[in-house]
Amino acid sequence: MRAYLRTIWESVSTLVTGMTITWRHMVNIRKGNVTLQYPEERWPRPERDIGFDQDDYNVIRSRLHVDMDDCIGCLKCERVCPVDCIKIETEKVDKGEDIPDVGHTGITSNGTKKALLLTRFDIDMTECCYCNLCTYPCPEECIYMTGGPNSEKHPIDYEFSQFDRNDMVYRFAKEASEEQVEKATCVKNGEKKNG
Amino acid sequence: MIVDYLIDIIPFAADWPGLVFVSVVIFCAVPVFLFIAVYALVAIYGELKVSSFMQDKIGPMGQGVGLHAGKWGLLQPIADALKLILKEDIIPTTADRKLFILAPFIVFIGAFISMAALPFSQTIIVADMNIGIFYILAVSSLGVIGIILAGWSSNNKWSLYGAMRSAAQIVSYEIPAGLSIIGVVMITGTLSMQGIIEHQSGFVWGILPNWIIFQNPFTFLSFFLFFISGVAECNRTPFDIPEAESELVAGAFTEYSGMRYAFFFLSEYANMFVVSGVAAAAFLGGWRSPIPGVLDTPGWGIMWFIGKSMFLIFMMMWFRWTWPRLRVDQLMSVCWKGFIPIAFFNIFGIGIWKLLIG
Repeated sequence: MRAYLRTIWESVSTLVTGMTITWRHMVNIRKGNVTLQYPEERWPRPERDIGFDQDDYNVIRSRLHVDMDDCIGCLKCERVCPVDCIKIETEKVDKGEDIPDVGHTGITSNGTKKALLLTRFDIDMTECCYCNLCTYPCPEECIYMTGGPNSEKHPIDYEFSQFDRNDMVYRFAKEASEEQVEKATCVKNGEKKNG
Repeated sequence: MIVDYLIDIIPFAADWPGLVFVSVVIFCAVPVFLFIAVYALVAIYGELKVSSFMQDKIGPMGQGVGLHAGKWGLLQPIADALKLILKEDIIPTTADRKLFILAPFIVFIGAFISMAALPFSQTIIVADMNIGIFYILAVSSLGVIGIILAGWSSNNKWSLYGAMRSAAQIVSYEIPAGLSIIGVVMITGTLSMQGIIEHQSGFVWGILPNWIIFQNPFTFLSFFLFFISGVAECNRTPFDIPEAESELVAGAFTEYSGMRYAFFFLSEYANMFVVSGVAAAAFLGGWRSPIPGVLDTPGWGIMWFIGKSMFLIFMMMWFRWTWPRLRVDQLMSVCWKGFIPIAFFNIFGIGIWKLLIG
């Protein structure tokens, strides 16, 4: 009889112990919560200590960004890309006209004269393998990984999650109407305007 | 009850059975069904949140573009229901088609008609039968037929195992549940639900409300026996060996999908409410206020009854997310070697208490 009652007491008390534990977790959910509401809350990025100042070397493999005002359309990045995720289309520019709206300011920040209008500059980040090869040949240093030494030009962006797969294709070329493109380029209806 | 009113008010109602039938459907069945549906949405949301909080998570949350679960994830149960309605209805080719289709309805009917005798307040009860509590015990075991049909007709070993376990479990746990109710019936001297609640008015031991659970130590024990047996009858964890997702996929419901599965799900939640409602009415004073005489009007009665039932449903969720599942032989030994002797002992004790103390 004693053993019988002790068994009952033991099972009841251990069950109640378990229930107090879950109760404590339930009422302390504000303190104990482990879920992050991702797009609104993020983990703090851990500090990086790799032996040298990371602002001096581009060791960050993040999102590619292009400063379109500096791009001269040399296609070096498109050619070097091992997975062909960069797609560039250019039009030849009329020497006389300068239309800032379409990203054609005539001269880049390095002083190079722009000879081409970029009608398309797409980087498909779903295909990108983050090899960083495209940033080295760029003569104007206008294509780069965000963050690191480039954080002044563009803050770091390594998550860039999207709800639609097509939104992962970043279109850097400034939208231009047909009129503007026609006005800025010397090709019109297949024949050259000035010569 | 409403039908009785109708027959009283309209003299020719009794002559037209068709009219009585239609009015029963409109005034009783539809509101009860709507109540079950709304309550199930609330309970599913509660279960999601309670389970998450107990596991240090925050459960369904909706914020930002594309995550449209509403504020605090309030729309999650509606989204779940919509998903179940829109899902493809699959019937396996080797299944026994007629029984497969019939099974979810039998399970749901078992839960649905039990609601008829639940006293929501002094006046709101579908039928105040003089055998109310006996009726609930009787029809709530109808569901086991549906579960066996589902398991057998699925033609699947998991389903059959689950159905057999479920049958054994429900039939076994009816006995301690029924024996605990016998104690209540001995004290109140009636089987009518309203009669049992009527008996629980006033105070006991000076300060406590005169609920049957507080009337003597044996009824206190009876309440826990009944409630735990009820949890077992609902196939809820820790007695969920018929479903046992880690062993039997989903037990008898393995082959069901879409709306048919939703009916099993709905009847599980409806059964939870029936068990909690009977426990609240028979042991916790039903629609009576915790402080006798305060807020004891019929309007508050609904709130007290549903509040007590929801508290017991929360207890079931608490059990579910705390305790591990019992093994099959443990389950049977708990029932036959543990609960049934204690239940008999309780009947004996209540009888002697009633004889000596009153």
